[in-house]
Amino acid sequence: MIKTIASIFITLGIIFGLAFYENNRVNDTFREFENVLTILYDKTESGDVTYEDGLATEEFWENKKNTLHIWLPHTAILEIDYQLYEAVGYLYVRDYKSALPKIEILLGMCENIPQSYRFSIENVL
Amino acid sequence: MGLIFIRSIIIFIATLCVMRLMGKRQIGEMQPYELVITLIIADLACIPLADHSIPLLYGLVAILSVYLLHQIICLLDLQFPIAKAVVSGAPSIVVNKNGIDDAELKKNNLDVSDLIESLRTEGIFALDAVEYALYEASGSFSALPKKDYETLQTSLPIVIIDEGKFDEKNVELTDRDLGYYREILKKQGYQLKKTLVMTVDGNGKLYMQQKGEKYRVLDLAWKVPLW
Repeated sequence: MIKTIASIFITLGIIFGLAFYENNRVNDTFREFENVLTILYDKTESGDVTYEDGLATEEFWENKKNTLHIWLPHTAILEIDYQLYEAVGYLYVRDYKSALPKIEILLGMCENIPQSYRFSIENVL
Repeated sequence: MGLIFIRSIIIFIATLCVMRLMGKRQIGEMQPYELVITLIIADLACIPLADHSIPLLYGLVAILSVYLLHQIICLLDLQFPIAKAVVSGAPSIVVNKNGIDDAELKKNNLDVSDLIESLRTEGIFALDAVEYALYEASGSFSALPKKDYETLQTSLPIVIIDEGKFDEKNVELTDRDLGYYREILKKQGYQLKKTLVMTVDGNGKLYMQQKGEKYRVLDLAWKVPLW
């Protein structure tokens, strides 16, 4: 019986530990990425943005996404990749009007993806 | 991970409830919760294997959640008999000294023909040769035959009435018509609709039982054994 109780607590510890770490990790990563994207958005809106700014944002995301693969479905990460590469592509040709909606989509994803991992009835169901 | 944990618990409880509601018919040799675990784990293990876009951790956490529930149920089973009855169910005595317990059969989604089939697998062919019979919580069947049960089953009984309906093929096998059996019912004060079961063997030994009443055995005094 002691063995069973111990196994229950160990399993609960692992699950809650993973859940807590996942929650923090995903939230922190997307919060940081959102900050970087907001700066890029502001610069693009004012016309001060350079292609190098876009590449720096891309590099930031590349570094972060490797660990996110453990926690998020790979399709969600691919969707961000797709939108980001398009936005940076528009920055390269200096088409800022087209880049802005793409960055807005990315900002929306930064808000929505962590929300889909929060404890809420709609997420459970 | 937390969402997967909660979702696994919900799926587990829902599947277990459905299994319990299905009665003993759907269960083999396992306890209901063991069957549920087997069903769920097989699928959970496959999801991350089949779909590369899903992180492996999703599958692992779901399997861990099911393992956790298994351990909790094992603990409850050992410590609280009430919890054991709720989760695993209790044995159902389907044949007692009064004969077949129709209500118990219905409770487990079984009928008389299922019972007769189960009895045959235990080597008991005549319904009056059984003292007690029960379906265990795991769905396995146990029967206690009467002391002299071998003398009670000298010929194979066949079903004439099953849950208020004549089996016309079997009636033909006895070289009698429906009127013959209707007359027996009338003499015994039975109604066809309320008759749970009537069997007759080749020597003319008749077993009949009306729903909610004790069974009766009659000797039809056939001059020539039919089989």
